[in-house]
Formats: sequence, structure tokens, C-alpha cells
Amino acid sequence: MGVYLDYQAAKPVDSRVISEMTIYLNQKFANPSSLHCEGDEATDALSEFRHKIAEFINAPDPESIIFTSGATESNNLALIGYAMRNKKKGNHIIISEIEHISILNIAKYLEREGFEVSRVPVDQYGIIRIDKLERLITQNTILISISTASNEVGSIQPLKEISDLAVKNNVVFHTDAVASESSVPIDVQEIPVDMLTLSSNDIYGPRGVGALYLKKGLRVNPIIIGGGQERGFRSGSENIPGIVGFGKAAEIMKNQINEEASRLRKLRDKLIKGVLEVIPKSYLNGHPEKRLPHNAHFRFDYIEGESLILSLKDENIAAATGSACSSKTLEASHTLIAMGLLHEEAHGSLVITLGRNTTEQDIDELLDKLPGIVKRLRLLSPLTPPDLIKKYNEVND
Amino acid sequence: MKSTQYSEKVLDHFRNPRNMGEIEKADGFGRVGNPVCGDLMFMYIKVGRNNRDEEIIEDIKFKTFGCGSAVATSSMITEMAKGLTLEEAYKITRQDVADELEGLPPIKMHCSNLAADALKAAIDNYRLGTEPEVEVETACKLEINVILGFEDYLGKGTYKEIPENLEEFRDKRVLIVDSGDESLELALKLTNYTGRVIVSTTSKVIPGREEIAKKLKQSDVKILQQSELVEIKGELDEVEKVVLHDFDEDENYELFLDAVVYLDYRG
Repeated sequence: MGVYLDYQAAKPVDSRVISEMTIYLNQKFANPSSLHCEGDEATDALSEFRHKIAEFINAPDPESIIFTSGATESNNLALIGYAMRNKKKGNHIIISEIEHISILNIAKYLEREGFEVSRVPVDQYGIIRIDKLERLITQNTILISISTASNEVGSIQPLKEISDLAVKNNVVFHTDAVASESSVPIDVQEIPVDMLTLSSNDIYGPRGVGALYLKKGLRVNPIIIGGGQERGFRSGSENIPGIVGFGKAAEIMKNQINEEASRLRKLRDKLIKGVLEVIPKSYLNGHPEKRLPHNAHFRFDYIEGESLILSLKDENIAAATGSACSSKTLEASHTLIAMGLLHEEAHGSLVITLGRNTTEQDIDELLDKLPGIVKRLRLLSPLTPPDLIKKYNEVND
Repeated sequence: MKSTQYSEKVLDHFRNPRNMGEIEKADGFGRVGNPVCGDLMFMYIKVGRNNRDEEIIEDIKFKTFGCGSAVATSSMITEMAKGLTLEEAYKITRQDVADELEGLPPIKMHCSNLAADALKAAIDNYRLGTEPEVEVETACKLEINVILGFEDYLGKGTYKEIPENLEEFRDKRVLIVDSGDESLELALKLTNYTGRVIVSTTSKVIPGREEIAKKLKQSDVKILQQSELVEIKGELDEVEKVVLHDFDEDENYELFLDAVVYLDYRG
């Protein structure tokens, strides 16, 4: 395997997590709904690992953790479940312009179902305008859903201020914490939130598991109907091996998150400094300080992102881009556009996300290869101004 | 199929593009695509004659901004067209280029398979004998148009004059409409207050007298050439975005920002 710098897309499962899970795949495989001893064992595991997730976010009551099949389902349960249950209270929901695609599309669905959705704008750094959020809240507002941090540019949102506004106006606040859960500690008591989305893979657990924190006393309509598991909020036999893995991953993450965050921050800052210093007409997207420790998001004038990714691929470096040409819809990243970038600027973006196995050598390797790749693509591009081409050619001679 | 799942031949042309570059004093020049959509192609041809005295493509070169398949199709068509008569070259279709490359991902067939169009444009340009466009050094604006919403947002994000304290622009995304050197100097000054300064100008080149244009080029000011401000849109009584017109592509697009400065605007 080469240099992997796409941790926001997928993370490897921790080996300690795998060994913990294995026993629940072939030995302790029973269904917690069964009444026999084996069933009791499964019930105990469910309770033990639910507890670990509660501890991970400092939730006072483990019962407030609802296991789901992943973050997308958690977001569906939070938004659709809450909106449908509280239709009579009001029909207005607030999200931001830069939410994850799952929230954006759920919001569109709710609009078709008769709800009104407002989208809070962001500033040039991709941080929501808290003053505008305040002014968007009306008598009819029932729910605010804003992620803890942008999954693309890594800008960390003012969670405390949003939470204060929600409390003051008696509006329920949901936050999708997936982008930040591997590098920013979560405490639902210190910053009160009513609902919070978690994903297992984003903290090095297995895929196909996630959770929704649902504050005690708060109720949502289930979106998956069946045998009434998870207090009726999410039916279907519990995915015990997945939940065990998720819980174990949370335990490991909680113990090392601060240390790991400062390690990643150093690597990230080295990378940002190195790129901006060496490559002309390169820019950092997102906030210089209020950003996820593991995220560096660049753009380079005159070149296109997919070409950049293909060229990095040839050097065995895995990274991502916000360019339209690499997406299913052929549309440029909505986050970059909302931040005020032009389409042609959004096309030239490079998203680097670091993780547990990222080393300084990985960063050095990228810093070694990237300037040459950008140069090659710029020499190929009709948009590159003649003086820059001249400058590049002079260095050669 | 993933949009980046390319054949080995596509990857080869992407990695080692053939005939990349420009031809000085080209006989024909074709330009297709739009950087806004993520693709832009320049095609240059030099026309000669074969021993039957037919016109042929003696030399061909390209420059491309775009994804892997945009680069590969440009490179491929230059190999296919070199030496062909103009008549034969004109008949090359997008499908021919894709076939020669052993296929393209379906999603890329239309968006980035523009090379055949670029070659046709270059041949048309040669046959019609049009002179290459002359670059105009100054803003070619003749009349001042009404900008929808400008007056509505005065004091709420739009400015007709420079405010006393430039701190008002701290960390804001500012669009400055080119109305002469004073506006361009303001743009340069504002880079000390915010990372996002955009100048909209109707000019085809970097505007301003030599010294200012040079400074602009070296700065982080984003220049939108051949553009005109059409409309200002806001939400909650504040500027939120603008609509700009791109003369080159003859189309409108939107841009999110916080402030618009148009010195001496007379709507």
C-alpha cells in the first residue's frame, strides 16, 4: 500500500477492535432477544458496549444511545423522525449551506413533505454565520441541524453558540459529529445537544454501524419499523459484533484522542506550510486555525482536481478532490461554492485527510511529489498565465 | 463504472500527452469548453499540402485544463489527425476518439470528450480565414447598466464610496467592480484586511495602468475578466450573493460574498 491520505472517506479497523469482535461472530453469536443463557450473554454485551459509546460522548444515560446502520441512517432518524413527530409544533427546519450530502438530501425530502427549510450561509472560511442563524429562527422553527465541522474543508463550527441559541429559543438541536469524532472530543453535557450522529468507521471501528444520541425524554418517530428493538426507535435484530467493535473503537479513541489530535495537528501544519510556501498560487481552503486537526484542504489555480488525483495515484498517493469531474453528479462541491469560490476554483481542490497511521514520511512524500505534479498540469493548461510558465521554465534551465 | 475508471490507453495519454503546447502563428485555432464546467481546450493547427496537393494537417498542438479524459482525448486526436487531409480530419467524431482510446466511462462521454469539437473549430477558423482576436487593453464598457438590487443593499453590503475605516471589510468576501485605478488600488489595499478580494472587470486582460496591473498580477486578488455585475441578491437584509455575466461564455453565474464596492455607481 502506498501513502494513504483519504481518512475522511474510510479508515482501517483497529486490530484490537477486530479481535474483540471475532468472538461475537462465531462464539457468542446469540440474539439478545432470546431468553436462554446465550441470549443473556448477548444482552450483556449490548449493554456493556452501549455504555462505552455513552462514555465516549459523556452522555449521562446509556439508554440515550440508539444503534443504527451508520451515520446516514442516524441523520435520517434524527431529521425525519423528529420532524414527522413534531409536525404540529411547527414546520420550519434550519440546516447550513455546507452540510453533508445526507443532510442536504433529507432536507430536500422534508421540503417535498411540506416542511420549510432554511440554509444558514457561511463565511469565506466555511464557518456558519451565527448572527444569521439567530435571525432565521421563527416561531415555527422546530429543529436546527448543523454539523460539528465541515466534512470537506474541516472548519469547526461554533457549537456552543448554536446550542445556546437553540436553548434560548426552545428549538431542538441536532449535530452530525462524524467529521470531527476522531480528533475533537465530544461532551454532550458541556455543550448541550439534543441529538448527535456518530459513525463507527470514523473512529476506526467496523462499517455498517453508527449511533444516534437521543437526549433523555426526547422522542422521534422510527423510520424502520419491526420488532421494537432499541426502545422501538430502531427495529431489527441488533448487530452485536458491529456494536462491540464500535464500542471498543470508542473506548480506544477516548483514551488517546487529545494526544492523537496534537500529533495530527503538527503533521497538518507542516503540510500546509510546505505546500503554501513551495507552490505558487496555492491556497488553503477553510479556516487557518479553527479546523480539524486531520484536515488540510488546498486549491491550486489553473488546474483541475481529478487530474491532480490521477497524477498522485501514479505516485501511489491516495487523496481526494472537490472537483465536479470526479463526482457522480458532475457538480462542483457545494461547500466550496457556498464559501464564495468560483466554479473554476472549486475544480482545482485537493483534500488531504490524515489518520492514525499517517507518518511524517507520508507528509514528506506528498511534499516531495506535489509541486512537480502541479507544475506538469499547469504547463498543460491553457489557463496558466505566460509569466508563470516562464517562471517554471526558468527553474528548469 | 466509476468516473475515473480509465482504460490503460487513456491513462497513457494522460501521463504522456502527445503534441502538447502551442503553435506560434497557427493557421487555425479552436477553443471549446468552459473552465466553469471544469474543461477548457485550445487546439492549434498548421496546414500544409500533400503530394496530391490536398490540404493536410501538417502540425497540431493542444493545451487542456480538465480531468483525465479531457487531457487524453485532446492528446489522442492530435495523433489521429496529424497527416490527414482537412476533409478527413473534419470527419473525426467524439465516438472515434473514444473508440481509439478503448472507451471512456459513460459519464465522461459528453462532458470531457470535446477534442473533436476543438479540432473542427480549428479547421473552421482556418477555412473561414478569420483573424485571431485582437486583445483589447482597456475596459470595453460603453454604458453603465442598472445593477438589480444595488440601491436596495446600500449600507447593507453595497458601497458607492470607500468607507472611512477599511476595518469594515475585515475577513469579508469583497467584490470590487473595476471603475478605474482608484477601485483597483482599493482592491490591493483590501488584501491587508481579508483573504478574499475579487475584481470584476469588462476588460479582457488584467486591468489598470502598467504598475497597478503588475501588482494585481502578483497579489492574491482574484480577477474576473470579461465579466459584468448584473444583480445583487440578499437574505435577511444583507448581501449574500451576486449574479455575474461572463461575456466570453455569454452566460450568468452566481457567487457567494459579503460586500460589493462600485465607486461612483450611477444606476
